[in-house]
Amino acid sequence: METNIDFKKIWNQQNIETPKVNNLYTKANKLKRRSFLKLILVNIILLLSITFIGFIWYYYQPEFVTTKIGIILTILAIIIFLLPFKKQFSLLTKNKTEPNSKEYLQQLIKLKEIQVYQQATTLSIYFIMLSLGIGLYIFEYVSKMTITGGIITYAITILWFAINWYYLRPKVITKKNAKLHKLLVEFEKLNNQMND
Amino acid sequence: MDRIMNFETIYKSYWQKVFRLCMGYLNDTDAAKDLAQETFIKVWTQLPNFRNEASIGTWIFRIASNTCLRQIQKENKISKSELPLDIKDEIQETDIEKDIKFLYQYISELQEVERIIISLELEDINQKEIAEIVGLSEGNVRVKIHRIKEKLIQKFKKNGN
Repeated sequence: METNIDFKKIWNQQNIETPKVNNLYTKANKLKRRSFLKLILVNIILLLSITFIGFIWYYYQPEFVTTKIGIILTILAIIIFLLPFKKQFSLLTKNKTEPNSKEYLQQLIKLKEIQVYQQATTLSIYFIMLSLGIGLYIFEYVSKMTITGGIITYAITILWFAINWYYLRPKVITKKNAKLHKLLVEFEKLNNQMND
Repeated sequence: MDRIMNFETIYKSYWQKVFRLCMGYLNDTDAAKDLAQETFIKVWTQLPNFRNEASIGTWIFRIASNTCLRQIQKENKISKSELPLDIKDEIQETDIEKDIKFLYQYISELQEVERIIISLELEDINQKEIAEIVGLSEGNVRVKIHRIKEKLIQKFKKNGN
């Protein structure tokens, strides 16, 4: 069915002034700096935490092996927590040639699925390792306290872990995943349009 | 120096085209300008990696289409009610201005992927290249374009343009 409406002609009449290219360079540099700073910040936090824990190890010279295991677990927990930040960064910059839209949508869907998985799993592992680490770490010092003192210390620590695990963790996961799920649904919808 | 010269040539020859594609996708001048800018920032940063595997046009339109499709991620952040009301309505418009307005409006009412395909078609890109940009078969693209044009004609007829 042909018609006398010349869409191409109408389409091409939409013209606005081309913005100055310099604005674009400024914006590009700003974005580059921001993502670079974010990466630096993550690394600084990582480094500071490890230095701090290393300092405790060195300064207090723990005797129990549990303390040492505790310290290692805590460091690992922090690394696990910060790793996805670095990974996401590399996932986004890895693409050398621009994929076609169909592939692109599939990549986006995959990326979101990975993020959903990461958020739930990483956060759980993080909390478990951190709790275990701290629990083991304080054992040496608690063992030097009176029984009542020890019980109180562990009771407070366990209560704190419980709040983290049963309240904070599910709340963070639900909040983050709700946003991701919404995006996933949208991207799936676009992907289905491809197959119509 | 070479990179800057290359980029500025690309920028001059493609900005309007990319803008129109974004405009067809969103039907919002400011948002379309932002998307066009985002597209060219990506073109600028990725230009050193461009190895002529595809034609430069295909490559740029791929980036532009993908930037449009990823747009939803941002829509979640900005509430639509924040967008300014269109005050242009009060100004007397010529027929061609009306046609432009309706065409872009009708296109933005289509499904997202359809918007991209028809925008590329109206930009006079051949169907083989469109197929390479969106990742569909040429036959599929042809069928889709035919269907979309019919939809647009119906919309124009329905509104008595």
